[in-house]
Amino acid sequence: MLAKTKFAVLATLSIAPLMNAAHAETVLNVASAGGQNMVDYVKTYLAPKFEEMHPDVKVNVVGTGPGDAGSHKIYEKLSAQKGANKATWDIDVAVVHQKMGGEMVTEDLLAKYRNDIETGKLVSRSSAENALGTNVSGYVMPMFHSQTAIAYNSAFIKNPPKSYDELVTWTEKNPKAFGYNGIKNGMSGVSFVTGWIYAYGSDAKTLSSTPYNKANEANWSKAFKELKEFNKNITFTPGNAGTLDMLNRGEIFMGPVWVDMFYSWKDQGKIPPTMKLSLIAPGMPGQPMYYVTPTKAAHPELAREFIALATSPEVQAEGIVKRFNWYPGIDADHVKSQLDAATWKKLFAEITPSDLSKYGKSFPIAPYFNDIKEGYEQQVSN
Amino acid sequence: MHSNHQHQPEPSVMKKCKCFFDAFNSRMSFWSQCVFILIFALILFGPITNLLIWTVAETWYFPNALPSQWGMKYWYQVFNPYSDVSGSLLTSIFIAVLTVIVCLLVSVPAGYALSKHSMPFRVFWMLLFLIPQAFPNLTVYMNIARLFYDVGLNGTIVGVVIVHSVHGLMFSVWICVAAFASTDPMLERASRNLGAGPIYTFFHIVLPQAAPGIIASCIFVFLESLDEFTGTFFVGAPDITTLPLLLYTASMEGNYQIASITALILLVPSILFMLLINRFMKPEMLAKIGK
Amino acid sequence: MQNKTTHSLWLVAPAAIMVAIFFLYPLFFSLYSAVTLEDGSLTLAHLTKAFSLYSNDILFTIAIVLASVVVLAILSITISAMIVLSPFKSLVSLLGLLYRLPLFIPFIVTAQMMRTFLAKNGLMNNAFVASGMMTPMDTISFLGWTGIIITFVWKQLAFSTLLLSGAMAALDQNQIRAAQNLGASRVRILFHIMLPQVFPTLGVALVLSTVTMMSVLSVPLMIGTGTPTMMSADMAFRVNSYGDYNVANALGLVSYLICSGLAWFYLRQSLKDKGATA
Repeated sequence: MLAKTKFAVLATLSIAPLMNAAHAETVLNVASAGGQNMVDYVKTYLAPKFEEMHPDVKVNVVGTGPGDAGSHKIYEKLSAQKGANKATWDIDVAVVHQKMGGEMVTEDLLAKYRNDIETGKLVSRSSAENALGTNVSGYVMPMFHSQTAIAYNSAFIKNPPKSYDELVTWTEKNPKAFGYNGIKNGMSGVSFVTGWIYAYGSDAKTLSSTPYNKANEANWSKAFKELKEFNKNITFTPGNAGTLDMLNRGEIFMGPVWVDMFYSWKDQGKIPPTMKLSLIAPGMPGQPMYYVTPTKAAHPELAREFIALATSPEVQAEGIVKRFNWYPGIDADHVKSQLDAATWKKLFAEITPSDLSKYGKSFPIAPYFNDIKEGYEQQVSN
Repeated sequence: MHSNHQHQPEPSVMKKCKCFFDAFNSRMSFWSQCVFILIFALILFGPITNLLIWTVAETWYFPNALPSQWGMKYWYQVFNPYSDVSGSLLTSIFIAVLTVIVCLLVSVPAGYALSKHSMPFRVFWMLLFLIPQAFPNLTVYMNIARLFYDVGLNGTIVGVVIVHSVHGLMFSVWICVAAFASTDPMLERASRNLGAGPIYTFFHIVLPQAAPGIIASCIFVFLESLDEFTGTFFVGAPDITTLPLLLYTASMEGNYQIASITALILLVPSILFMLLINRFMKPEMLAKIGK
Repeated sequence: MQNKTTHSLWLVAPAAIMVAIFFLYPLFFSLYSAVTLEDGSLTLAHLTKAFSLYSNDILFTIAIVLASVVVLAILSITISAMIVLSPFKSLVSLLGLLYRLPLFIPFIVTAQMMRTFLAKNGLMNNAFVASGMMTPMDTISFLGWTGIIITFVWKQLAFSTLLLSGAMAALDQNQIRAAQNLGASRVRILFHIMLPQVFPTLGVALVLSTVTMMSVLSVPLMIGTGTPTMMSADMAFRVNSYGDYNVANALGLVSYLICSGLAWFYLRQSLKDKGATA
């Protein structure tokens, strides 16, 4: 023990000069869950822009990993600081998924800041008010909206399925050519399963906008049983990126993916240009990523300015839509006016606006959502 | 570790076998060992070649058997001006070396004590040191983080080193126990009988015998610390950035290029550390061999 | 004697205190939740749920780990015996260099490497096809339980061989030479003289490998697609997706019991052996 303390002292001494250098300027700590494309966006696009506006500030970005696991780490870190009664917390801005955003609001970890910033008025869609049944109005600003859809290789598939029914028939004819990642490794698989329940269990409207009622789940077991049958004709993939990668390597020819990742990968040349998207009936869920700031952020003012910059029509148009081809987080009208028609049209090259409004659903409220996942574990994978 | 080459059976033993059959047998075993090594090398290098190809593969579509476009694009991405790769690599190495030292300091005495079967509750102690690795850390880190926030260890190198050390203890204690258990108790007793003190005996007789095992444990602790993400995130981030922290998302997500490049970067300190520690320990080991 | 015991307790104390403060104490909070209800009363509900949902996965995990450990034992004994006993020095030094390579590649990278190597259109199958040993039609994917075992063995082999060959090299060479002079074959020397003496090290290597394999998350996630999966993936899913620490901890308890069961078996065995030879 004694030796350890000695080392602690030694270590502190030897690292002290390093630490001082790092603290010479104000550091704004941004933690981002989600894929590498999002971390890169914050790190290489937003952060330099913000540093340009505030020369004495350095933005430090930490990626916490893809999927709910990434958001969960941010939640746990904040929760630990709350438990330890720290006066200020070490994360200023966080980018989190919808579900954890809701939970963090319930646990009192987030600041209600939307009315403090100019751009707060530019958001009106329901996902900025409600996160899987939790009222998050005022606590979150959407970074962008994403959607799951079925990606397929148009070099091999000329007539992609248009609905879950057609997909089932297609997989019977082409066993193992469709792949998804189950529910334990990434949200695109969860999304596919949720869409399955929307198609064969209860419709999306009931599950995402009415109060929880177990009776609505009456015919789910039949849906799960059919899903178990369906699973025999498919290939399982390792994760969201895994599905895209298996599409690239020709191990599967069709699978559910996040539209934002799909475009990033296509742009980087990591999937063939022949890959296309199809949003199938009766619909698949999508979700926004939220910008949030903790209740006790060390730099609350800077955090608000950072989010205001990130959700300004210019940045949303230039960064989110033009550079990455993602659906904007703030209302479309404000963004559209910033862009030329061609760029705006490109956003809907794969999925038409009418398909998007017809088949782009939200995730169900939390209790239903948990029942879907647990039902899958119990009845499909067990 | 190279000591093993010193102990080959003497060639003279081989030469004594004069009969033709034995010579034939020996040639057979030479070739069969060659074949074994060849197959082994293929199995080892297959996946590693795959890794090397991915570091310079820009596009690799189906049905191409090899990348259609080669290049250093992803190297530029890793070494971009927005992420301080060399700085975080240095932090990683600094933390890993400190972790090794802490682990050594507490595990060598513990390993020595536990190698004696007279140790009370020996099984209990041994199982105790398995816990930090055997339990899912996911559920524990939140509580560790809370504890560290309480005492102000969060965001410090010390905090990270402690978390890594607790994790590494399983390797260092268990391997040290095995290393000390294989030392010759007769030599120790003889030294004591000749009037040497317990401390002199430990450092001059026992420790050199256990050295190879202890070195091996250092290597594992070092590697374990170098690759660790979750604990570093909870205790170190955002003040401390190690290399895994910098590249975790890309690796976890399945970005093969970035993951492979990370592996190559981490390979350098790992191999240097192993060479260094082998070199450093050599005289003692030679001394032991001379006995 | 009493004096000696307290001495050895002092020697273990620093390490034990470190584990107690920085792991057991935080673990206690979370473990407490695995066997209690919200109001603090004891319950088996979480354990029951863990078993009802994941019994297949638990069995799958045990099977995978046991299979990997057996393969590991056979291969690492073979390789270390070759290193120590083979009369062909150049071969030995080559082998000594080779087997250590996987040591330096982190699990998460190994998993990804194997994922693209073992896949249906992966480098391995492509190489077979290119060399004419296979047609593209015959290729099969090794992703799944075989892939998990292959990855575990590939990665852990360096670990167990490094420990084992170290222990073998440290054995008393006179004894081995004497046996050789008496005409004992290498195989006999290996099984009758060397293995019994390095048994503790082999046991340690296998126990530690087991613990490592049970706790690695990236391999089952990336290679073991579909169902059943390994317990580490289930635990992560329980926490990340449901925020359900209770069942995750219950699973953790099961996982620890499996590990310590194996460790206990080994410790008992090594005690018995010691008793027999002493």
